[in-house]
Amino acid sequence: MTAVQYTDEQTDALQEIINIAMGQAVASLAGILDVRVGLSVPHVHLVQIHELIDTIQEITGASDEITIVSQAFYSHLKGEVLIIFEEHGWKDLAGLMGYEPPPGNIQQEQELLLDVANIVSGACLNGIANQLGTDMSYTPPSVIPDMSRMKNALVSNNASWTHALLVEVNFSLEHINFKSHLLILMTEDTIEILSTTLDDLLESI
Amino acid sequence: MPATEVPGSLLHCIVDRVNMGIFVVNGDMEVMLWNKFMEANSGKPAADIIGKNLFDCFPDLPRTWLEKKIRNVFVLNNFAFICWEQRPFLFKFPHHRPMTGTVECMRQNCTLFPIKGADGSIESVCITLMDMTDTSIYHEMLQKAMQSLYKANQHDGLTSIYNRHYIEDMLSKEFSRSQRYGGFFSLIMLDLDYFKEINDQYGHLAGDTVLRGVSSTIHDLLRESDTFGRYGGEEFAIILPETTLEHAMLVAKRISTTIAAARIQYEGKVIPITISAGVAQSHPHLQRYEDLIREADTALYQSKQQGRNRVTQFRPISGPVSLTQGDA
Repeated sequence: MTAVQYTDEQTDALQEIINIAMGQAVASLAGILDVRVGLSVPHVHLVQIHELIDTIQEITGASDEITIVSQAFYSHLKGEVLIIFEEHGWKDLAGLMGYEPPPGNIQQEQELLLDVANIVSGACLNGIANQLGTDMSYTPPSVIPDMSRMKNALVSNNASWTHALLVEVNFSLEHINFKSHLLILMTEDTIEILSTTLDDLLESI
Repeated sequence: MPATEVPGSLLHCIVDRVNMGIFVVNGDMEVMLWNKFMEANSGKPAADIIGKNLFDCFPDLPRTWLEKKIRNVFVLNNFAFICWEQRPFLFKFPHHRPMTGTVECMRQNCTLFPIKGADGSIESVCITLMDMTDTSIYHEMLQKAMQSLYKANQHDGLTSIYNRHYIEDMLSKEFSRSQRYGGFFSLIMLDLDYFKEINDQYGHLAGDTVLRGVSSTIHDLLRESDTFGRYGGEEFAIILPETTLEHAMLVAKRISTTIAAARIQYEGKVIPITISAGVAQSHPHLQRYEDLIREADTALYQSKQQGRNRVTQFRPISGPVSLTQGDA
């Protein structure tokens, strides 16, 4: 097991921070897309690699038409976000994202997909950073070409990690056939940093 | 913040001279900063641009999309990215390989990020622009190399039809599909008659010409869905998906007739050529796809035994039955 285990108090505080952050994310996404945004209760937990693979399998198992985009974030907190899109509902967002006329080739479709992934992950992570009083930097998002390769990368794992903090949340949009799953994975050292940050926050209350 | 301890003049100098584009726009899309890289590549000096609307200065920019993208950075306090792989360039700048470059203008990666004012609200958005032309050229070269490797790996160098490796690959796939979903397909194995004698009599270059001529003649007789390849020296294989033995026999006979009538020439001389073929259809008792090759080969051997220039279908119980040209 990981060296760091969160106390009940810390876990509650973290869950609360994530809840508020996701609430803010929903509000800003709704503002940008001009549509009501649905959100599941964020699930926050520490996972090992095999549990992550199971989680991804669970989400992706049902559908053939999934696309996964990955984006890394760094600064005070470090990690990677996986944005998993079900089906092709994201294509309906072309107009809302300023694509006029709608994407006409595969490159433009991919750009739209990356744009959507970027605002979803950005909204959520900035919400978290905001709550913790820090700033976040990002790498450009990129499409993971196929699932099996990602699974291999996780399993064969020249893994720099065994544990991660996973925040799992699902988004949907009203009237648009759009569903996305967001998996925010924070690295082991981030788990420790976050522990200190949570203590400071709890003390300051 | 340590950055504020660095003299402003130094930062200004770095931003201005760094080898990448840096510019800043406010909420009204007015340009607030325009560094030397942007000046040099756009041909528009900062003095002509500062304070003016970005889209008025550059009417070619994809306005609706870019403005939405910049606004999203204001709203979300978020980074945003533009990548050359999806959108080759934002500004149509010349690139710095005018002689050796293979692309028409500079490939660009852009990053957009928010700039906060003293009160913490977002005042402007900074956009950085990196020249990715070299990367894109190497990427294109790599893609081309991969494509030709991919093609070379599947095709026979002499005849340009598929090679044995590809034929076996397709046969294995077709076999699995028929086992799983209960479909069927047929296989024709065919061999040029007396090819060694052609080589001996006319020379190897003539032999090569015959192989190429036969390949293209057969190719023209097949459907889009059939897979045709060179299996060995003068042996060829054809996979016919969803085709009965009866129909595959008709195809094989048509090939046999056409080849016998073809006038393949080498240095002005017509080289007479015929083929022998064996035909087999997939069935549920096959254990492996190699078994089907063996069945077609058995029938092919029968064609050779019975005097060549003929087509034989594999008969598991009553033995192979041969048809000569005249029977067709």
